[in-house]
Amino acid sequence: MSALPQPPVGPPGIWSFPQPKPSQLSNGIELRTYQLPGQQVVSAHLVLDVPLNAEPRDLEGVATMCTRTLDEGTLTHSGEEFPELLETEGAGFGVEVTLAGLQAVLDVPVSHLERALELFAEAVTEPALADDDVNRHVQLRLAEIEQAAANSAQTASTVFRGTVFAADGRAARMNGGEPETVARITPESVRDFYRRHVGPAGATLILAGDFTEDPTERAERAFGGWVNPDQQRIAYRPPAPGPTRALVVDRPGAVQADVRLGGLGIDRRDPRWPAITVASYAMGGAFLSRLNAVLREDLGYTYGVRMNFSPMRDSGFFAVQGSFRTEVVVDAVRRARELIDTSAQPFTDAEVTDAVAYFTGVSPLSYATADGVAGQAGLQTLLGLSDDYVDRNLALLRNVTPESAAEAYASLVRPHDLTLVVVGDAAAVAEPLRGLGFDNLDVVTR
Amino acid sequence: MFQGSANVGSGQHIALLQAAGASVNATTWFDRTNYFETLPTGGLDLALWLAADRLNSLLDALTQENLDNQREVVKEEKRQRYDNVPYGDAMQLLNSLTFPPDHPYGHTTIGSMDDLNAATLDDVHTFFRRHYLVNNAVLSIVGDVSVEDAFARAETYFGSLPPGSKPGKSTAGPLGPLTGGARAEASGRVPADAVYMSWRLPARGTRAFDALDLAFSVLGQGQTSRLHKGLVRGAELAESASATTMGLIGGNSFGFAYSRARDGVSPADLEQAVVDQVDRLRTEPPTEMELRRAKAQHERHWLHELARVDSRADAFSEYATLHGDPGLVNTRVAELNSVTSDDIAAAVSEWFAASDRAVLVYRQEQS
Repeated sequence: MSALPQPPVGPPGIWSFPQPKPSQLSNGIELRTYQLPGQQVVSAHLVLDVPLNAEPRDLEGVATMCTRTLDEGTLTHSGEEFPELLETEGAGFGVEVTLAGLQAVLDVPVSHLERALELFAEAVTEPALADDDVNRHVQLRLAEIEQAAANSAQTASTVFRGTVFAADGRAARMNGGEPETVARITPESVRDFYRRHVGPAGATLILAGDFTEDPTERAERAFGGWVNPDQQRIAYRPPAPGPTRALVVDRPGAVQADVRLGGLGIDRRDPRWPAITVASYAMGGAFLSRLNAVLREDLGYTYGVRMNFSPMRDSGFFAVQGSFRTEVVVDAVRRARELIDTSAQPFTDAEVTDAVAYFTGVSPLSYATADGVAGQAGLQTLLGLSDDYVDRNLALLRNVTPESAAEAYASLVRPHDLTLVVVGDAAAVAEPLRGLGFDNLDVVTR
Repeated sequence: MFQGSANVGSGQHIALLQAAGASVNATTWFDRTNYFETLPTGGLDLALWLAADRLNSLLDALTQENLDNQREVVKEEKRQRYDNVPYGDAMQLLNSLTFPPDHPYGHTTIGSMDDLNAATLDDVHTFFRRHYLVNNAVLSIVGDVSVEDAFARAETYFGSLPPGSKPGKSTAGPLGPLTGGARAEASGRVPADAVYMSWRLPARGTRAFDALDLAFSVLGQGQTSRLHKGLVRGAELAESASATTMGLIGGNSFGFAYSRARDGVSPADLEQAVVDQVDRLRTEPPTEMELRRAKAQHERHWLHELARVDSRADAFSEYATLHGDPGLVNTRVAELNSVTSDDIAAAVSEWFAASDRAVLVYRQEQS
């Protein structure tokens, strides 16, 4: 059948990232309100200007312990009562810890906003940070590290980051802290960190949802009275690159190996960002990207392989990443390194056109919900990007050409100067990987 | 299913959609197989045309070569998601403890390596011809398109596809609660000992299932749940503890509880602590406040689910496919909110006797 020909695709409608109503609370907290019709679940992000390099080197993880203990009781409500009150409002509370700063996050049906916002403020502005709760979270974090270490893919990502970035910078180590420093964290150190760094100075409150009335006054009642005279603001310190290395993390007998092959990247403010977004989509983002088309669709080596550029506040990193069965992983690395060398096969008009259409098309979906918008707005705040960043970036994306994509790509991806991390069976893969030219490959256990 | 059809080249199904700005994927699960894409409205015709061409003519493009290739891809998926992760076989073990071997829920959807190796081109043809019928499919469209227009376009692309003899629903009748206290032990390179429990529950779409869903929420969802308060926060025996239901339509659903031990806590002590909280559901039924919290959390999750066009389309499809009534999406919150303490007490009493659960103890392999 199908006498019907393939139908043409109509142009996408006009879409813009929503713009906030900006204002300020009486203590200086910036308020950004996004009125989003139809979004019955409100999302609130309180963005705190506390970069992780504010942590003392020997207590890394203290920021994470501090944020995780926020909802374990307050000066007003006990650790039993507080989460009960929040959950009774149908609210969800969470925290996000990134190198650039901390966020507390609330999701709640708009009908329960008033009470939930009070409780949200209570957690952030007057947490108990009690001894038992901090100590428990330290133990849980140590257990979490063990769980992550047992997971091959997570280990690959952690070790890769620790290799790509210089060892003396915060970016080389896990956001939540490594076992040695987490084990040293005491309740007093958490309270001390809170006193020194968590406060209204530099904070931004983002509210997104279908508000029945302007939430400014509620925000003022909840957060406007917050003061912390001891608050110190610490400037964000950009990460520095580490030396290029090749590592195998040994997992004797593993049926698969997790691969990360990449290096230092760029952040969203770099003029090359739109071009590298397009180039990396063509190389390892699309289903029929150059990498996935060969390693998955032609060879069946993997469930999926990607090339990701991960931007940070300053700088970033990139990697070809995937899991491959042990028998083929060395060949997969060999082929991946050939495929990412575009010198003989430059990006085409069609690849660029498809990439632009893809990013244009998926943006409205990414930002369709209150939490999608608030999440992006929180990110923009932490990274120092303007409110119209998404629109401007999409406009710049449409100007990318095969030439500009090639130029950005060539300046960042140097196929024979990349860091390699493979988590897998060293006995099976280490020697053959050395044979590919990774002469100084080290085998480590972790 | 993404390898092409009569008018679509290999891999082009996703490639064409992504080039129209689409997010595309598919899932196979116990009760339904789901193909979905979300894209700007101007690509609706393309999406429908591709789906119809595939439904009509997949087998024209299915060769031994691309079957073999995709078999390898699925085996990589199995290694990545199950075989190479800690506790990766726990789900399969629980499936087989909870349901008989020949029951549709007695094994995981991805199958075993042996099953995957054994599937022939002929098997795939037969399966496709039997199940991939236009009269055995539900199409849901959510977006800025009028109802009349959407129906007209669906008719354009799917209207001429030949219906077939619709396969019957699963033959599995409802089973009663587990009896006999099924147990299994497993060990592996895992970072902590863990205890899993599972239950047979009534099928979704019943008041008893909704009641048990709320009971499981009280038992093991969130920071105020009994398992978290009792095991993680209170006695500090566990690094995590939770419980959840998996609503299924084929006669029964699944219920699970799960906890990982803190260092120095024996699996036996952990198991007893989980059992204590499970049994407490009978002796100390959920309080009004606990019930209110469970309902409030459910309502937020449900509102969130309906906040995006893609998850909304999925919800309509789910209720149309499994219950024959997409309108249930609109009454779901009211239905759950109408569950009473008495409903919960009755369901707990019927499905939660001490012998009604299966237990899987997962131990750290001593190196």
